[in-house]
Order: sequence, then structure tokens, then C-alpha cells
Amino acid sequence: MPPALRALWRACIERPWPVFAATLAITLFALLQFPQVRIDTDPENMLPAEQPERVFHNEAKQRFGLSDAIVVGVIAREGSIYTPRSLAALHALSAEVKRIKGVVEVDLMSLAEVDNVTQGGPGTVRFEWLMRTPPTTEIEAQAIRAAVERLPQAYGTLASEDARAAALYVPIEDKNESHRIAGEIRGLIDALDSEDAFHITGLPVAEDTFGYEMFVQMAICAPLAGLVIFLLMWGFFRSALFVTGPMLVAMGSVIVTMGALIGLGFPVHIMSSMIAIFLMPIAVVDAIHIQSDFAERYRPGDDAGAVMQEVLGDLFKPMLYTSLTSAVGFASLLLTPIPPVQVFGAFVAFGILLAFVLTMTLLPAFLCRLSPATLARIAAVDTQRSRLYAPLAFIRRSSQRGRSLVFGIAVLAVAFSAVGILRIDINDNPVRWFKASHEIRVADRALNAHFAGTYDAWLVLEQDVDALRADWTRDWSALPADPLREAVLGALQTEPQTANALRAAQDAIDDSDADFGLIEAWTARIEAAQGQLARFQQPDMLRWIEQLQQALDVSELVGKSNAVTDIVKTVHRELRGGELAEQRIPDSQAGVAQTLLQFQGSHRPQDLWHFVTPDYRSALVWLQMTSGDNQDMSRVEDFVAAHLAAHPLPEGVSARWAGKTHLNRVWQGEMVSGMAMSLAGAWVAVLVMMILLFRSLPLGLLAMLPLTLSIGVLYGLVGWMGKDYDMPIAVLSALALGLAVDFAIHFLQRARALARELQNVEATLDALFREPALAISRNAIVIAVGFTPLLFAPLVPYITVGWLLAGIMALSAVVSLYLLAALLGAGNGWMLKRMMR
Amino acid sequence: MTPVLKTLALALFAALTTSSALAREVDPRAEAIVARAQQAARYAGDDGRTLARMLITDGRGQQQQRVFTILRRDIEDGGDQDFLVVFSRPADVRGTAFLVNKKTARDDDRWLYLPALDLEKRISAGDKRTSFVGSDFFYEDISGRNPALDWHSIVSEGEREIVIRCDPKEPDSVEFAYSHAVIDPKTFLPIRAEYYNADGELFRKIETLETAVVQGHPTVVRSQVTDLRSGSSTLMEMRSPQYDIGLDESAFGTAALRNPPQQWLRP
Repeated sequence: MPPALRALWRACIERPWPVFAATLAITLFALLQFPQVRIDTDPENMLPAEQPERVFHNEAKQRFGLSDAIVVGVIAREGSIYTPRSLAALHALSAEVKRIKGVVEVDLMSLAEVDNVTQGGPGTVRFEWLMRTPPTTEIEAQAIRAAVERLPQAYGTLASEDARAAALYVPIEDKNESHRIAGEIRGLIDALDSEDAFHITGLPVAEDTFGYEMFVQMAICAPLAGLVIFLLMWGFFRSALFVTGPMLVAMGSVIVTMGALIGLGFPVHIMSSMIAIFLMPIAVVDAIHIQSDFAERYRPGDDAGAVMQEVLGDLFKPMLYTSLTSAVGFASLLLTPIPPVQVFGAFVAFGILLAFVLTMTLLPAFLCRLSPATLARIAAVDTQRSRLYAPLAFIRRSSQRGRSLVFGIAVLAVAFSAVGILRIDINDNPVRWFKASHEIRVADRALNAHFAGTYDAWLVLEQDVDALRADWTRDWSALPADPLREAVLGALQTEPQTANALRAAQDAIDDSDADFGLIEAWTARIEAAQGQLARFQQPDMLRWIEQLQQALDVSELVGKSNAVTDIVKTVHRELRGGELAEQRIPDSQAGVAQTLLQFQGSHRPQDLWHFVTPDYRSALVWLQMTSGDNQDMSRVEDFVAAHLAAHPLPEGVSARWAGKTHLNRVWQGEMVSGMAMSLAGAWVAVLVMMILLFRSLPLGLLAMLPLTLSIGVLYGLVGWMGKDYDMPIAVLSALALGLAVDFAIHFLQRARALARELQNVEATLDALFREPALAISRNAIVIAVGFTPLLFAPLVPYITVGWLLAGIMALSAVVSLYLLAALLGAGNGWMLKRMMR
Repeated sequence: MTPVLKTLALALFAALTTSSALAREVDPRAEAIVARAQQAARYAGDDGRTLARMLITDGRGQQQQRVFTILRRDIEDGGDQDFLVVFSRPADVRGTAFLVNKKTARDDDRWLYLPALDLEKRISAGDKRTSFVGSDFFYEDISGRNPALDWHSIVSEGEREIVIRCDPKEPDSVEFAYSHAVIDPKTFLPIRAEYYNADGELFRKIETLETAVVQGHPTVVRSQVTDLRSGSSTLMEMRSPQYDIGLDESAFGTAALRNPPQQWLRP
């Protein structure tokens, strides 16, 4: 043991007050950081800000003017939504919601805010609000129903196909305002004269609610975990004062870690909100080892300081290694590409090391300040009388007698897990992070039962404009020089926006005094170029989109798809007299352009720009889906990929996905591969540490065995139970590895020490199943039970983590004891005999 | 008609058209100002032609252009008018034409011709406050809102501007709660039109950016409408406006839709 360490311990034990003061000062400083806390509930942040898919998603939002929207659903209690009363309520709500601050008024979508295009009599066409004033009679209400059924943009989106429900899409400027806006909408709903059921959902609301639930979790579950741990330890040691020591270590670690996170400007995300509840049990495990050992050795009259020094000397190495391995397990999360997971991993790792430092300094200082009477009481309570000794003795006996059974079960478990792991379904959906009974889940189910779907994905189609520009520049440069040519090429070179460049070129042509023939020729070239640029006005391109939409309809993978084609076809139908046969794409580009010019004579011409850019170089197909599960999104993406392979996009046009549901799928995919990396990285790092610790490859591998088996069994069970492999489950693997190896470290380290001391296989095993096994079991119980308050959390990921960590701790403790004992005893104690040398 | 008689006539007309329960006193001075402004902005000369260039810039800075010729003929000053609007750009809508036979006493007759679909269509009256070809101007901004649809009152009268408040007689038929017409007392051309919602917030405005005197008639040659909610705006330039070019009835029949009178379309 390095003399410096001994000096440090002595200093802490003999002069505890500076230790207390320093710890208190640091903790207070950390506490002062708390008020600056920022909460981040945006699932988008699961991807780094510069991640290409996320960058493209935001570019698509900007390009097509798409805002985050709150969805308000109205469902008729019985019968149809098309009654004067229901529609009047909807109309009133729509008008009032528009006036709420922060709502993008011009983009609000509802039956009261949509234009109807109809026949206004023989030979005439009419654009009018579908419902400027609510209907007063049943017949008028039915007329609105009939009109909606002829409007593809509204049917299935603003009103359900079963006529039971209607929806308002309330776009908002800033999603951080969604809680307030949703609250104001609720207020408006309460004031309505309506019997209908109203539901409010949409991602912004879910995110905001999530933030609130996170605080609930941190404010209730974490302190609850502290209480549970305190009670458990009191059960072990029967002295509140004695147990206060580890609690101080735990609280100090948690407060300083959270203070550091907040103070360094990191937002608290769903992952980092779990830091407190993770650190709390982990921080006390070293303390439990020290206290168990201390309680065993200390006899009334002993010098507490001297006993403590002995204990620390014996336990320093295993505790250092267990802390390091746990820290490595969490730090391995840095290998995932998901920033909130990285932050979580890094800070928990920091917290574990901090807890180790506090355990080495604050804990001895505190324990040695306890009165001799208190210490005497602890010594009297413990060791020989723990109720855990009986089951431990049973494990000790059965692990040796039934050695082949233990090995057999282990082999079976490996096979069972392997099959289970192959059955794992990778799937996640942030809405499912809420419990099934949560308001948001209820709204989600209700709305998706009636509508084409509240989950969005966008397929963004884009023409390669750079290639076009290069073509024009090349072709026009090859023409004989004339004054207009220079003006046109100059405009192309200086103006980055192609449509603007062509317009600037045309303006230059118009204003020039060149001769008429030249002007005509250049005008024709520019106009041809404008036609080429407007790819999504060309009938072949629109028919390609139409074909994709039809294929999607047939596949039944999506509720509905919306695109510029629907607008073109609907307006064309009405221009041609309203017959369904005319609901088609015109045969020429000019025909499409002129049809769209008519649409732009409506009340909401800007709606067009959500589906196509004003220069028609890019278009968006909006898919509505009734499920936001990654698997469902993957199915849609696979289907579209297959369709693209069978029906290639026209030359120069590319397709790319955007939309929240797609982004969720992306980070889910990144997480799976990232977690595999993280797990592999942690496994190797821990193995290397084990080899260093034991200075032996076989012992190092042996130490890895129980935790590998435990993690295998855990994921095997996940596969067999059909539980989706989602974010919380993925994150657990690396943590479980870091925590579970602790048991093996203590067991093997103590086994080696005892074997050297006792030089006898049976005696070593007996001794191992006394204090070392007791401390291991206690730790397993503390960690397992310490996580159980998560079971009362309001959000599903916390609950999952609670269950699984409790399970994995219990499992790996049992596996460590049984399997390691069986292996140590195998071959007449071959392994132990090696240790004796 | 003398101005006094005309004011009386207008007032009478207004009273007749809104004989419903709307008991509100007509302000003859305000009506007189509105009538003069209407004359200056909408009825200069007996007829006129202008090449309009519109640049639409949406809230995200994306731009679109529309170029069209407007032919106008007054049937009666302050009364019925005919308009023919023929598009020349973008190229793919070239030849698209709107014909409006504006009636002050009843709904206008509106017609549409789409050359690429070879389609001539009557557009049902109904709402005139819809977008004019995707711009921030409404149809009614192009053809002129019938003053008889609003109550008028003087908000302020200064040397540089007169502010008239317009309250729609049928509030349900328009998207604004009231508007302010800011008029130049020298030319009686509009300086600005401001549209307010029920909360008294300005949400849309039309501004005159430049005027010119054409054949003795002060004329708005550059104007801009801004939608303050969406951040979208449309700039309209009138190029080579001309008055009294001798347009006759034949330019405004449905036959003119398919075959616009070329001799009058080009300056």
C-alpha cells in the first residue's frame, strides 16, 4: 500500500474537520448551480445537432415551412361529427385558437379553415371557405360532409373517414410554448357548448409533459431510493448513525455530480434525469464493504482508527477496481453516437469515482468520529448473526456438491439466451414512454383509431439543380458571344438561388436594348430553363408520385399520403366539371401550372408550399401513419426503397426521408450499433482491468464469466418475453456490465487473499462464504432494492430500468456466488491451488 | 354630377343597399372623400392599360414572379367597369386570362381562360377576398372594393394625410374587423391601407411606394402588400401605364378570353 495513501487515511481519521468542511463547501457550491437547470425533452436531441439526417430534417422543415403542431381531436360521443352543434363547437374553437399568441395563425388547419373548390352552377367553378359559418341545419351539416369527402387534403386528415371525428392542427412558433398553448386550448374547450370528447396530443405536447414527469421522477423517485437504501442498511447494521456515513457519501456524490452537469451547461435530458437514482445505490456499495468488514473486525476497546486503517488497506484494491470497472461501464456509453446517452455515461462515471474518493476520505473520517458506544453496538449486532448466512452456507454446499448441475444449468442458460437474443425486436416510440393510461397515450389511441394517423414522415424529392446549372452554363457558353449571353451567365454565376438567377437573367434581357431577335432567342432559352427547373410541375414526375401514392395505399402501411398531386387532381376535377374521371394530372406542364395557378386563387395559397417549393424544384410527400413505432417506420421505408428499385426515379431526381418518425428510427438504429460498440468496448476494457488486477489471464476470464452470463440471460429473457429492445434496455447492457463485475472482483480478490493465507481449498471456500459473500449479497440487495423506487415512476423507461437493473443485480450476485464457487472448487480446487502459489 | 349630388347619391345608394337593421348614420364628408379617392385610384381616364409585374416573397424569402397586362374600361365613373387580365409570365401560364365585368349593384361576372387545358370557365361570384394568383393581393384589391360595402368615418384629417376608418357592413364576409384607408389629400391616391383584426391588431397593409403623373392622372406605379402574420409580401410595379387608349366593348367579351385583343395588349 503506498505510504501516501496511509498518510491520507491517517490525516482523515485524525483531523476529520477539514474533510467535513471541504466536502460541505464543494457540495454547497454544487447546490448553487441547481437553479440554472435547463430541461431538454426533445427526442430530436437523441441525434447530434450536426447529424446529417437531422440537418436534412430541419432543412426540409424550413424548405416547406412546416411547424411543430399540437393536434386537437374532437370525437362525437355517438353518431357523426357532422351535426350543427358539433360543427359549431369546432368552428368556435378554431376561431379562438387562432387568436392564441404563439399559434401560426395562417397555417392552422381545421374544417373551418379549409377552402372548398366546387361547381358553383353549370359551367362555373367556385372557391369558398368550406365552413365560413357553422351550419344551422342537419342538411347543411350533411352538405359539409359530402364536400369533405371530395377533398383529399381534408378527408382522413381534418375529418375522419368514419365521420365520427374531426381534428385541428395547431402549428406553433416555438415548441417550448406548447404547454401554455395546450393549456389555453383546454380552457377554450371547457368553455365550449359541446358533448363531444376532446383530445389534445402531438409531439410538442408530449415533450412538454415529458419534462414535467421528469421532474416528478427526480423529485420523488430519487429521494425515495435514498430512503429505501437507508432503511435497508439500517436493517443490516442497526445503527442510524453508522448508516449515515454511506448516505453522506451518496448524497455528496449525487449533488456534486448534478451540480457539475448543470453548472457546465448541459441540459437535463431523460437520460441525465436518471443520474441521481443510478448514483445513489452505486455510491454506497464501497461503503457497505468497508462497514461490513469494519463491523466484523472491530471489538469494543479497539482503536477505531487503527481498525479502519486495516480495513481500508485490505479493501483498497478491490474497491478501486470495482469503482473503475463501474466507471468504465458507464463511460463506455461515450462510444454511442447519442449525445444525451454520452452525457449520462460521462457524469455517472464521474459520480462513481467521486463516490470512491469520498468513501476513502469522508467515510473513515465520519466513522471514526462515532462514539465508542455506538461502535460497540454495531460490533455486537453483526456478523455471526446475519440471516444471510444460512442461504450463503447453502450456496457454498450446493455449489460444490452439485457442481456438474451448476455447469449444466450455465450451459443451458447460454443456449436459452442465445435463442432469446436472436428473437429480440428492436423497436421504440417516444409516445410509448408514457404509461398506457396516460392522457397522451389515450389521445394517441383515440385519434389514430379514427384518422389516417398522427405520425408524420416526409419523403422529400429533389431535382439535382447543380447539374442543371452546369448544363446551362456549358450550353450557353458554347453559343457565340453576345451582350445578353454575358448578362445571363453573370446572373447564373452570382445568384445562388437558381430560380432567382433565371429571373434576374430575364430582367436583364427585358431591360436591354439588344435587337428583338436576340431578346426573343434568349427569352426562349430562359423560359425553357425555368420549365426544366420546375420539375415537379411536369406530368411524368407527378405521375411517378401518384404511382408511389397508389402503391402506398395498396400496401396499407400508411394511413394516407398527401402531395401536390392531390391538389392538382382535385382542382383539375372541378375545373373540368367535377366528374371523378377528371380527377387526374393534366397532360402538359403548362396544364399543371395553370391548374395550380387556380389553386393559388383560394384563401390559402400558401398551403401549396408545404408540398412543393415555389420554384417546383423539390416536392414533399407527407405520409400519415397510425403508429410511430420504429419498426412500422422501417417497414414503410423498406417498402418505398423496394418501390424505388422497381420504379426508378426519373434521371436527376433523388428522394430522401425526413420527419420525426423517421428521425426516431434513425437514432434508434444508431443506438443499436452504438450500444454494440459500447458493450464490446466496455467488455474488453473490463477484461484488461481484470487481467491487470489478478495478473492472470484465466482469473481475468473467470471474473468476466458471471457477468457475461448474467447479461446474456437478461437479454435472452427480453427476447423471449417479446419486450421491445428500446433505448432504456439498450443502455442497460453497458451499465450492468460495470456493476455486475464488482461481485466477481470482490469474490476472486478475497479468494486469492484467503487461499494464500489458509493454504487449504475447503477452508478458503468456508471463509469466502463468511464476510466476503455477506458483503456481496448485501450489495446486491442494496442495489437491486435501491432501484425499485423507479417502479413507481410515471414514465415507462424508468420503470423498465428499475425492473431490469434489480433483476440483473440479483441474478449476477447469485451467478457470481454459484458459478465462481463451483469453478474454484472444480478439479480438486485447481484454481485455488494456483492462487496459493 | 356635382360633388354634392354625387355624395347624396352615394349616400342614398349606401342606405338602400344596407336597409337591414344596421342603423348607422352616414357621414357625408367621409363618403365624399372616399368617392374622390375611389375616382382617383380606380376610375382615372375612361380606360387604361398597364403592364403589372408582381414579385411575391414569402415569409421564408422564396420568390415568385407574375407578369400580366391589365386592360380596364369604365362603363360609368364610380360605377360598373370591365377588366381583362392576361398573363405573360411565368411562361407556363402565358395566355391565362381573367375577365371581370364589375357591377356595383350586384355580383360581378368573372370568367377564366386556361389555354393549356383549352378551358373557358365562369368563376362563381362568392368570395372576392381570396388570393389573386398566389400573391398577397386579393381579387378585390385588384378590381377595387365597392365602397358601399363599408361604413366610413374620418379618423383624422391633416395636410399630409387623411385617415378614413372603414367598418364592413357585413363583418362575417371579410377577414378584417375594420380597416384604415390613408389618403393623400392632394392627389386622393391611397398612401396606405391598414387591416385590423378584432383585437385591434394590424395584420395586413398595402402601401403605395411610388406614384407618377400619367397623362395628367396621378397614378400609383409601385405598391406593396404585406401580410404581417406570415411575413409574406408582394411588390407590384405598373409599367408603362396609359389612359384613354380607346378600348371598346369587344375587348371585354368572353371571346376576348381566348383571343385577347393583341393591338391593345402591347404598348
